[in-house]
This record gives sequence, structure tokens and C-alpha cells, in this order.
Amino acid sequence: MLSSLGNPRQAAAQLLNFGLIISTAFMMWKGLSIFTDSSSPIVVVLSGSMEPAMQRGDLLVLWNRNIWAETAVGDIVVYSVKGKDIPIVHRVVRKFGVGPKAKLLTKGDNNHSDDTELYAKGQDFLERENILGTVVGYVPFVGYVTIMLSEHPWMKTAMLGIMGLVVMLQRE
Amino acid sequence: MHSSWMRIQNVFSYFTTVLFALGACIAVSDLLTPRAPVVNSLKFTNLQVVRGRPHYYSSKHEEYAIIKFSLDADLSSLFTWNTKDVFVYVTAEWPSSSSASANTTTNQAVIWDTIITAPSSDYLGNYGPATLKKLRKSAAGKSIDPSRGKLVLKNQRPKYQITHPSGKIASTEDVTLRLHYDVQPWVGVLMRNHNVDVGLWKKLEGSVSRTFTLPSLKKKDEAKKAKA
Repeated sequence: MLSSLGNPRQAAAQLLNFGLIISTAFMMWKGLSIFTDSSSPIVVVLSGSMEPAMQRGDLLVLWNRNIWAETAVGDIVVYSVKGKDIPIVHRVVRKFGVGPKAKLLTKGDNNHSDDTELYAKGQDFLERENILGTVVGYVPFVGYVTIMLSEHPWMKTAMLGIMGLVVMLQRE
Repeated sequence: MHSSWMRIQNVFSYFTTVLFALGACIAVSDLLTPRAPVVNSLKFTNLQVVRGRPHYYSSKHEEYAIIKFSLDADLSSLFTWNTKDVFVYVTAEWPSSSSASANTTTNQAVIWDTIITAPSSDYLGNYGPATLKKLRKSAAGKSIDPSRGKLVLKNQRPKYQITHPSGKIASTEDVTLRLHYDVQPWVGVLMRNHNVDVGLWKKLEGSVSRTFTLPSLKKKDEAKKAKA
């Protein structure tokens, strides 16, 4: 079973294989990033503020290019404000002006009030540059894995362990 | 041990492949279903501009427009087996007074919205037990309920009182109301209303009201300023 450990050539090949898989995944992610012009083209919904349309763990595909139209009222956008790490998925409900300096106000469908409280101190509106992308695609539940992994760190350790074991034990 | 591990891996990868292929098929099936939503009428019924404060502790005074409206629309064709819910919203739009291109809409604000759930997602909606029971009863035995997309509102109060960042909105000219929708699928592409036909999906007819001018400020409504 552990024969591969005794064979350095085979062990090296497996290590290379593993590296190839990881770099392929990384390049696909970055390629998608360039294609959609968004620093994180796929996000996972973390809160229930957009229910019933989106639940925790749903996967969203973003698009951040304004080829056909500007970001408009009604778009569900992902934005992040200065000083807060976690991006927020909410809907644009007001827009004043046009172009990159247009003032945008967002609100979660399931929230009673708009997002003015969530913005940075002294910030009343979002601008285009705050927005990471507009939601164009939706896949339910798939992202729940990442929520499980980030909320239960032991799972991350266990998964890495299992992956490592599989790589070690795998034979071509 | 080695071969059973391989088998688990194979079964799992086959399972995910089938699942994603199925999801893709469902998403594509949306494109093959005709949609012909229509707005029979959308008009304002009452206009009011009052002075108020953004919140109780604010010292800033702003003008707020309260636009009551009537709506008769049939969006039932948006409900298919892949429809999770439809977000319907009415916006007020007006061009900016200072800019040279006065004809382009530069200000847009939602005054009213609602979420219409499909029977398959009723349990997710923000309903009280009585409403939920009524919805369940009306859709019993139907996976698609054609009565869901029919909207008839008479002299509806707006959910949001709107203002402009300048705080001035009284006597604004060339204001129109417009109905929009956003279809949320169970899996696939989110689709907003569009102004041209896209394949089998017809554009939304009659979604724009005629233009109107907001009234000037009412002095009598000072008492309402604490609201908002």
C-alpha cells in the first residue's frame, strides 16, 4: 500500500500530479476572473438578507463588465465597502446620476431598511467602484461546503488529511 | 481497500456530473418556455411632497415624494417549473434638471416592491401562517399557479418615500412610473425585464406610465416630518 513511498520516481510523479491539479484549478479561477472582470467571480451567499430568492450556501456567478448596460436599479450586486472585509449581496434600489460616479443605494429584499447603516462612516451611497459584480447566475446549495469548512475548522484539517492520504495511497 | 476507495470516487464523480448536467438542462429549458408578461395599466393616483428627516435624530430636512399608484399587470407567464420567485418593483424615474441631456433618465428610485413566490418556494417566503395557508390552498395540486402573477392594485400607497441626494424633489418635472420584474430561477440565469424580444421571451408591454410633474411642497404637512 505504501509502496509508492519506497519508489522516489513514483512519489515525485505523484507530487507533480498534485501540483498540476492545484495550479489548473487556480488558473481556471484567475481566467474566470479576467473574463468577468471581477476579483471574485463566484461567491457564496452568507446571510438570509436576500430570502426567499437566495439562501445561505447558494452559489452566485458574477459579471462585472458594463458592455450592454450600466449597473441599474433592480440589479442584485455584490459590493464591499472600505473597512469591511465581507462582501454583501443586495439589490440596487436607487440610482442618481449616470456613469462611474452615479450614486447607488442598495437594500436586501428581506431587510426592512436600506443599507445606509452598512456603508462606511459618512458614506451615504455606493459608487460603481464599490461593486464587485452583478449576479447573473445562480446554483443552489453547492457553496454550503465552504460555509461548513469555514465555520468548523476541524473539517478543513480532516479534508486536507484525507486528500493527502489519497494522494499518497493512489497508484497510477 | 484500494479498489473500494476507487469505486467510491468513481460513483461520486459520476453523481456530480449527472447532477450538473441535469441542472444545466433545467436552466436551458427556461429558454424554451415562452414568456409574455403584460402591463394593462400603470398610473399615479395621488401625488404629495412633504418635508421630513431621514431618521429621527437627524437635523437634516429633506423633501419626500409620496406617489400613490394603480396597477393592473399579468406576469403569470413568468412562472414556470424553474421559477423560484419573481421580484416585482415599481420605480419613479426623472431626468436630472441641470444636465444638458435632459431626456435621458438619470434618477431612478424604487417606490414599491413585492416578492411573488412560486408554489414550490412558498415555504421560504416571509409569510404569516394565515397567508401561507391561503397560498397553499390556492395552489394545491398545482406546481405552477397561473393566478400568482396577476397583480391588481388600486390607489396603492408606496412602500418607500423617495428623495434626491440634494434633498429637493418638489415640482420635479417629467417623472414617469415604470414596472420591472426580476425572475429568480431555482437554477440558472437571473433575468430582468427587457425592452426587446429575446427569443421566445416577449418584451414587457405597457410598463411605463405617462409623465407627470410632482406638486410643490405642502405647508400643511409639517406635522408629518417626524415620520419617514
